[in-house]
Amino acid sequence: MANKAVQEAVSAKAQPKMSTLVRLCAAAWLVPGLGHLLLGRKWRGLILCATIVVMFLMGIAMQGEFFSTSSGSYLQTLGYFGELCVGVAMPAARFFGYAGDPLFVCADYGTAYLVAAGMLNVLAILDVYDIAMGRKP
Amino acid sequence: MVVSHFVALVLFSFLVSVVFGVLSKNTPRERVLYGAKVFGVFIGVALLLGWIMYPAP
Repeated sequence: MANKAVQEAVSAKAQPKMSTLVRLCAAAWLVPGLGHLLLGRKWRGLILCATIVVMFLMGIAMQGEFFSTSSGSYLQTLGYFGELCVGVAMPAARFFGYAGDPLFVCADYGTAYLVAAGMLNVLAILDVYDIAMGRKP
Repeated sequence: MVVSHFVALVLFSFLVSVVFGVLSKNTPRERVLYGAKVFGVFIGVALLLGWIMYPAP
């Protein structure tokens, strides 16, 4: 009976609270790598932040297009959410007036970079979740 | 920024390989090796597909 109580206490400690998981995943979404930094994985967080931000900035430099949900196309809506996964960078770029230039010679590559940056951040968020749950070192 | 298709491919592959390496492995050596392998596969498959598509109009 005492062993069972100890086991329950240990498993309760190992499982983080839902609010903690939500906070970590939200932080990881908003700023790439921040979730890892909050978990104490400094280098992993910094490398992920640098890589994802560089990919996003290269997408901007290549005049990639920001999708919108008002186009009526399912693919464009999916692309919008893909780009939104990069976090606060996308709305910040929109706020500062970036709109992309679909007629620019490298715009297609830029759009791919923007969406890929979002998708890589999704992987980072899932990694944060796994580390917080104790599934990964 | 104007880049050729190949340069865009190499840069994209590099960035994705770095993330894959960091997330998939646990030690720095394993990460570098795995990232290099993923990068090589990205470039190799892209070149292979390019040559397969070359005869097509």
